[in-house]
Amino acid sequence: MKEARRWGLFKTSAFRMSMGYTLLVTLAVCVTLGSTYLLTQSIIQGDVDLILDAELKSLENQYVRSGIPGVTDEINLRIDSWGRIGAVYMLAGPKFERLAGNITNWPFDGGPAEPWPEFRIESIEPGQRSVHPVRAAVRKLPNGDWLLVGTDMSQDRRYARTFQVATLWGIGLSILAAAIAGFSFSFRLARRVGDVTDTCVRIMSGEEGHRLPVTGTSDEFDALAASVNRVLDRLEEQTRTLRATFDSVAHDLRAPLHRLRTRMDAVLRLPTLEPGIREPVESALREVDRLQRTLATLLQIALAESGAALASPAPVDIGELADELVELFEPVARERGLTLTGHPDHGVIVQGNRQLLAQLITNLLENALKYVPPGGRIEVAVKRLGERAHLVISDNGPGMSAEERQRAGQPFARVGHRSGIEGSGLGLSLVAAIARLHRARLTLESNDPGLRAVVSLPGSVARLPSDSPAKTAPALFAGGTEQASGRGR
Amino acid sequence: MHILLIEDDTEAARVLVKGLRESGYAVDHAADGREGLARALSSKFDLIVTDRMLPHVDGLAIIQQLRRARLATPVLVLSALGTVDDRIRGLKAGGDDYLTKPFAFAELLARVEALLRRRSSAVEATVLRVADLEFDLLARKVTRGAEEIELTAREQKLLEFLMRREGQVVTRTMLLEGVWDLHFDPQSNLVDVHISRLRQAIDRGAERPLIHTVRGSGYVLREEDD
Repeated sequence: MKEARRWGLFKTSAFRMSMGYTLLVTLAVCVTLGSTYLLTQSIIQGDVDLILDAELKSLENQYVRSGIPGVTDEINLRIDSWGRIGAVYMLAGPKFERLAGNITNWPFDGGPAEPWPEFRIESIEPGQRSVHPVRAAVRKLPNGDWLLVGTDMSQDRRYARTFQVATLWGIGLSILAAAIAGFSFSFRLARRVGDVTDTCVRIMSGEEGHRLPVTGTSDEFDALAASVNRVLDRLEEQTRTLRATFDSVAHDLRAPLHRLRTRMDAVLRLPTLEPGIREPVESALREVDRLQRTLATLLQIALAESGAALASPAPVDIGELADELVELFEPVARERGLTLTGHPDHGVIVQGNRQLLAQLITNLLENALKYVPPGGRIEVAVKRLGERAHLVISDNGPGMSAEERQRAGQPFARVGHRSGIEGSGLGLSLVAAIARLHRARLTLESNDPGLRAVVSLPGSVARLPSDSPAKTAPALFAGGTEQASGRGR
Repeated sequence: MHILLIEDDTEAARVLVKGLRESGYAVDHAADGREGLARALSSKFDLIVTDRMLPHVDGLAIIQQLRRARLATPVLVLSALGTVDDRIRGLKAGGDDYLTKPFAFAELLARVEALLRRRSSAVEATVLRVADLEFDLLARKVTRGAEEIELTAREQKLLEFLMRREGQVVTRTMLLEGVWDLHFDPQSNLVDVHISRLRQAIDRGAERPLIHTVRGSGYVLREEDD
């Protein structure tokens, strides 16, 4: 569960937002550092070019003043004494033969096309051979000789490379920092939202008294938690009120019904009762009983709809329960010319109320018994599907239209064209209500032909029947005189 | 047999008291919880029938007080609260049976009878006998006269329930609760179908049928003189 939530982190909007944020930061850092790098590079290049240009100009002036010998002298002077570090000079004849300078031969094929040609030289300092990149400027002198002024760029290139490495490190570290910040931010956010979700799920499943955690930092989450908690307080209050209302409605309606019934019973026991009166009184009594059943069902449905929790859930072997009920209803089905078969898996345990689940299965079975014409088939199956238990009751009767299936779970939505068949119209609503109480999904599907009701119950746990309390749980309900013996002694 | 009825609905109580007296019981009536508890603790009753919601002291509290005073008098709880949870709470509190209002008087009478009889026949028998019908509980064998009768486990359970209450009216609700552990009313004629199958098995061709229908109440298993 915890693991699943951690992986679920990647799906949270907080995570996606912080991912986007990280990308944005990365982009910004790349642009900033990248442009700084490029700008620095071009400034360095520009400086070099200016120097080269100035030197070329001064050598050209020298040529104008004192011709080739002047230039040669000047070049030799600069090489020997006060020249720049890493300066490269060459004076070559029209056929690029060396006349003067500190490189051995002309580095290009003829006159270079680009304004700032680059080439490599091998340095001939003693004891050490190294290759240096050189950037140069070339002029053709009026007499057809070639003049080259260059500068050793290795210093600058080293500097540039260092800068490059630093830039890359900078970008990398920024991304890492942004990613860590984003991840921890989204993790914290996801955890707090996850806490809220967990608590809400608990409350939805009917665990009362749960509230969202308030950290006391008075941040927006605390504000949210406080509001949600107020809503929950109010809901619980309403549920309590509703429950009290049900109890008093139940009491206030049942008491007069009870009085009515008791009196009619007394009339039936009169020794002087005329035979013509017995029948109508008995028929009225049946109406009272039906009214009472409807009332009981309505209260049960209303209670389930109110979101009240299942008060005393216990492990129930739903397969065994289905089996028992199939066996119980089989003779009834046979009497109506129907075939009722069950093939439930045993040991499919759900948390629930055995009586209510029995009523759910009974209502679905009776629904089928009522509508499937003689010769038809009713099947009951219980299967474990992953974490859930599936109870399937299918028949090959007339079925329901899609619209009817949609409406069937709503109270009093008795299917129109079958109104000749007796029923309160609450059977399926009670099924839906009991399913809801058990956090189960009820789906009515077409069985082609017929109807298939699927109840998907959560929390199916495989357990050996021997250590399952399911067998002992029904004793709690045993109002029957047999099981009750031995109690209260 | 002396019954204490604790019920604040005096109109309903009057009719119940009258009905129970007509059925041969001595009945005292208490109209609220305090009076009911005082009476229940002071004199000896064979059975207490109490409403669940009462003024002053509620029905379940009365049972708890009784049990604390080590009185094992059987208690039948009447209640207008009919959900499964209410029933569980009622029985957990020490009630012996639980009846939801409104109920048929015949239902109440059958349960009163069952609770009173239970006290007198606590001995565990291994063979049940009614006329020439015999049920060997250890061998799980049923015979009628010389003939052995094949019954399913469920049919045996139904038969055992009826035989243990020989001569006593058993309502459909009592059968649903006691035999099949169903605490709600199925709409179909479940009980009747199963009784009629059991009848087929044990009474078919018999000169004297043992299972009888009691109009308006339920069934009874007994040997009847013609």
